[in-house]
Amino acid sequence: MFRSLQDDDHDLVTLSVNGRPVNARKGQSVWSAMAVAGQVVTRKAALSGEERSAYCAMGVCFECMVEIDGLPNQQACLRRVANGMSVATQDITEDSEEIDEGL
Amino acid sequence: MKAFDCAIIGAGPAGMSAAIELAQAGTNVVVLDRADRAGGQIYRSAADSALPDVASLGPDYTAGADLITRFEQSGATYLAGADVWHLGDDGRILFSYQSETRELHCREMLLCLGAMERPMPIPGWTLPGVMTAGAAQVMLKSDAVVADGAVFAGSGPLLYLIVAQYLRLGVQVAALVDTTPRQHYLDAAPLMPRALQQVGNLRKGLSLLREIRASGIPTFRYAKNLKVIGDNRAAGLRFAASGRQHEVSANTVFLHHGVQPNLNMSRAMGLAHHWNSAQMCWQVSVDAFGQSSVPHVSVAGDGAGIIGADGARAAGRVAAQNILFRLGRISQADRDQRVRADLNDLSALKPFRRFIDCLYRPTEALRLPRDAETLVCRCEEQSLGDLRKGFEQGARDPNALKSLTRCGMGPCQGRQCGHVVAGLLAQWRAESPEEVGYYRLRSPQRLLTLDELGRYDTVQAEAAE
Amino acid sequence: MKADVLIIGGGIQGCATAYHLARKGASVIVVEKDYSGRHASGVNAGGVRLLGRDMAEVPLSKASMAMWQTLDEELGHDTGFRRQTLVNIAVDEMDLATVQAREAKMHDAGFTHERIIDQVELRERLPHVNPNCVGGMISELDGYAIPFKATSAFRLAAENYGAQVIEGEEVMGLRRVGDAWLAQGARHRYEAETVVNCAGAWADKIALMIGDNVPLSHAAPMLMITARMPHFAKPVVGAISRQLSFKQFENGTVLIGGGAKGFADRANNRTRLDYAKLAAACRTTAEFFPIMRKASINRMWAGLEAYLPDNLPVIGTAVNAPRAFHAFGFSAHGFQMGPVVGQILADLVMGGQCQFNLSPFRIDRFDRKVL
Repeated sequence: MFRSLQDDDHDLVTLSVNGRPVNARKGQSVWSAMAVAGQVVTRKAALSGEERSAYCAMGVCFECMVEIDGLPNQQACLRRVANGMSVATQDITEDSEEIDEGL
Repeated sequence: MKAFDCAIIGAGPAGMSAAIELAQAGTNVVVLDRADRAGGQIYRSAADSALPDVASLGPDYTAGADLITRFEQSGATYLAGADVWHLGDDGRILFSYQSETRELHCREMLLCLGAMERPMPIPGWTLPGVMTAGAAQVMLKSDAVVADGAVFAGSGPLLYLIVAQYLRLGVQVAALVDTTPRQHYLDAAPLMPRALQQVGNLRKGLSLLREIRASGIPTFRYAKNLKVIGDNRAAGLRFAASGRQHEVSANTVFLHHGVQPNLNMSRAMGLAHHWNSAQMCWQVSVDAFGQSSVPHVSVAGDGAGIIGADGARAAGRVAAQNILFRLGRISQADRDQRVRADLNDLSALKPFRRFIDCLYRPTEALRLPRDAETLVCRCEEQSLGDLRKGFEQGARDPNALKSLTRCGMGPCQGRQCGHVVAGLLAQWRAESPEEVGYYRLRSPQRLLTLDELGRYDTVQAEAAE
Repeated sequence: MKADVLIIGGGIQGCATAYHLARKGASVIVVEKDYSGRHASGVNAGGVRLLGRDMAEVPLSKASMAMWQTLDEELGHDTGFRRQTLVNIAVDEMDLATVQAREAKMHDAGFTHERIIDQVELRERLPHVNPNCVGGMISELDGYAIPFKATSAFRLAAENYGAQVIEGEEVMGLRRVGDAWLAQGARHRYEAETVVNCAGAWADKIALMIGDNVPLSHAAPMLMITARMPHFAKPVVGAISRQLSFKQFENGTVLIGGGAKGFADRANNRTRLDYAKLAAACRTTAEFFPIMRKASINRMWAGLEAYLPDNLPVIGTAVNAPRAFHAFGFSAHGFQMGPVVGQILADLVMGGQCQFNLSPFRIDRFDRKVL
């Protein structure tokens, strides 16, 4: 279980992770905010669809790719939280179909 | 376009130290760094830690704060949040900055790209909850976030450091599973006397181990046959030690068996690299001043071989003096005189490094997967068995294997599988990693949206000042 | 080392030729200076395209397209071929006039595989296309394959029939001695009755050793591939008058081409990219398909490709030496032709006959030109 060692609660922002509101500290990485909130799954593996989570937390493994405000392939460990940010597990696999039907 | 005299990539100990020297000498130097604040991985957030008790991370970490302050006051142009994705050997640098693409030119380039953790492809290493010890460090330093009840497994100083830091902070640790083989202690013993020249470093290491032992957490030595158990999440670690099977339950498993140079950029640039058989990894080939096979491109810090933070500072200063010489700012004699002390310090570090490299040499069992189902390429989900099949179909070159299987084609661009694939091919071909070679890498070195690349502008040296 | 036929170049043309020859019982050695599929054959955009071909190429391309449809079964290996209609988008009335003229010309020649579509059909086939586009031209047999896999499939099939593929072997010298060709490689020497030059961007050097001069040039067409996206476009997409070209593979990645060229450094076996041009390609792609704005580029690269002044390949017999044949200079559209070219060369080598008119592809077609 991940937890924060900071006990004060100033400079909080609220974001949503998979639709749930999550409080986080200003400047915190999206990944650690997700981890503390118990939302450790960041993406689905592209072929098997298996759940994946951050591995290196420093930008080299690309396992923590999430969708942020509708933009996919965002590395949660490198992005900082912001008030009102919407984060979702990335579930793009080989078989995904675009739901937006276009014109 | 007005070019910079020197561009430094990375604001860790090497990059900051070099920038201070270059700025003091009055050159037009720009430092590009992906993070919001300088420090690199080792001094990450050292100047603005979120931790209530930053001293618990130790004096080596807090010493970073002073360097960061000196760097920030040095007068070097610092582009924080500049995510470099292309380095050209023509002196052209492309990077993402505030969701747009920027280009700048420099006469001299200094790569301070640091290290990354050596991947540890054991069964179950892709399960959520399995992370590197470095990940634990990053989360602790930048966000003051820890994992209770984690098991730490592997070998090497960074592993013991994070365990000790956790214990000092009162974080519960399930176990330390040390994989350093008994034989390595015997192999390293003859190197010990010379390593004693760096008695301070040696003492630091020993006191970490003593601290862990004194804490009373379960510690296993000479562990083998590691496997992360769990269906959709890590549930624990299974391993053999002292002649029997063990299982430690944990939701979080932190793995570590050393670090290796972060070399995607230097590879993509086409610099000459060679295999370091002591550290079991590739590194950029450089001369004593850090100059690479492309004379106007230098490398300092772990990118040219793992040397640690103190070594990186010295190497950064040395590279800076050589760049001043190349820019015509100082004479060769001045350069040689100014780098003497740092070069002496760097060679004094070597015996200690040799000792550490020998003692904590990554074992083949942890470096290369053994089960056919274990994934080598996490992005494209290529297992050992898949790669073996590709090899049998004639793909003997890392690039041919990549083209055939997609191994290394995913977003991480081979950062996780590159050394493993080279190691496997070396084994299968019964040749050296040098003969096997490595992936041909291409820009961009990070994912880049079409929108981002489409918005393309230049950064002039004056405008940035 | 001795064989009936020595093929120089382990790309798709060389491997397909080896396959067809070996299957007919010839002993074949393929020498490749890097590894099979290292250059244009393995790193191209994978387009298997009949649409918009030069008139001279249409008969060959049509025959090749028929072969692609069943190639996986024939070779016993996966080429990654998927039949997906190719759509060339018309942006405006001028483009429509261009396709109408093209259609008339094709019909006069008796070809009916290209068809004009209107705006409604364009949007049905490509729902995410910019609504300003007015129509286009399609060819329904077209599709794509995975270049390296397809080249490997030919190599493996050739090896199954006994052909030998020797990688990492550069031909340093080649001469005709009596009734034989003697080749000096970097590692071995070779002797063969017949030599076939499939050396791609290096084929002019081999042609010279054979005795034929050819005005070959080379360039580095650039490509970008994205991380996986949810499937949004089935057809392969091109445009009549704009530098737009992309396809979404079955695995979800989108490959963007468009013909912009980087820098070809043939002497050093490498290419460099022109990022400002790639940025322009991004803008064009996003303009035509706004959904692509959010696509993430994962890799960018360029291959070394051989071009001839008229953008048509050389296919056929050598003019200045006996028992020598050429197939190269496909000018960035040779991948689709691989299967038929292999068959043509095997026919020429084995019997000297060919069912196609190869005169537009003669190696000496530039000799009489006066500048």
